[in-house]
Amino acid sequence: MAQFKLPANSRVKPGKDHGGAKDAPNKREFQVYRYDPATGENPSVDQYSIDMDECGPMVLDALITIKNEIDPTLSFRRSCREGICGSCAMNIDGTNTLACLKPVEEVKGPVRIYPLPHMPVVRDLVPDLTNFYAQYASVKPWLEAKTPPPPDRERLQSKEDQEKINDPSACILCACCSTSCPSYWWNSDRYLGPAALLQAYRWIVDSRDESTGDRLDALEDPFRLYRCHTILNCTKACPKDLNPGKAIAEIKKMMTDRQH
Amino acid sequence: MDRADRPLSPHVFIYRWQITNTLSILHRVTGVALSVGLLVFVWWLVSLAGGAADYAQSLEFIGATWFKLPLIGWAFCFFYHFANGIRHLFWDVGAGFEHHQIQMSGWLVVVAAVIATLLFALLVII
Repeated sequence: MAQFKLPANSRVKPGKDHGGAKDAPNKREFQVYRYDPATGENPSVDQYSIDMDECGPMVLDALITIKNEIDPTLSFRRSCREGICGSCAMNIDGTNTLACLKPVEEVKGPVRIYPLPHMPVVRDLVPDLTNFYAQYASVKPWLEAKTPPPPDRERLQSKEDQEKINDPSACILCACCSTSCPSYWWNSDRYLGPAALLQAYRWIVDSRDESTGDRLDALEDPFRLYRCHTILNCTKACPKDLNPGKAIAEIKKMMTDRQH
Repeated sequence: MDRADRPLSPHVFIYRWQITNTLSILHRVTGVALSVGLLVFVWWLVSLAGGAADYAQSLEFIGATWFKLPLIGWAFCFFYHFANGIRHLFWDVGAGFEHHQIQMSGWLVVVAAVIATLLFALLVII
């Protein structure tokens, strides 16, 4: 059920202003969600000022500057800083994206940064992705085939067949799409969400996979697949420009096609 | 600490209202409004079957000047829900999922609903 109001322990309180480059000519304000499990206090939104002349162009650069120069307690995930690893997924200026791919310049006014929406928060900008990964595992993201591969080479597929899985295989599991989806917010316990469904699709359409029927059976459920109401926040959010919304529509089409 | 005690990150009130989620919630809201409107519509039909006296009574209510406003509201709900329903039919056959198509079809639906409502209001209601 849709629960719009945050639970009592999750309501965001006003935070503190950590200062920073208050007098720099090219300064930007950053309002960052903070939560410290050690204090047991409610989350807050803290403020930092960054001199953009002394900082790289991306939101991740600004977060690293905050951590290095103003407040070492700020926690966030990051690794590759070039949109390959998916670690720095967060809500920036109201939409989910990778901090390393989001230029500060694209944001007007103070840069508001929250963890991925409607997720349990481990600390600051670090969400607990346990359920998200379990849902990914539940779609059996591996090749299932009874026919043994040719003894002298790998399983081949045509160029056309490869192109079907090319895009969905590029998913980095950053969770931007799933956590942008209102339907996933309200039903993440039973609805798989766009990321897991995009990966389900990736194996359903794989010409080498022999479990297509079983895979579709597993999704034939009022919640797992059909909580998708084609809102399409997922497709809009994907920082890799993939199309989970379309993939889910294709799965739904296959569900009806196989009934005839 | 216990995993269950973790706070829930903010969601609907911090997420940007984009064309995607805005039109989706509008579809839901207009659908609910139409369900209510259907009750009024059925009440009007029943009064029609009930004879001249009944009908005169319902007409007094539905024909009142102040009632034009909810009628126009329901007209918009109908046209928007109808047009966006067609948009959903395209999605159901796997078409219209590119970024520019989502944007364009969304605005098309809104503009069509507004124009249809204006025409309906001018020609029928007022």
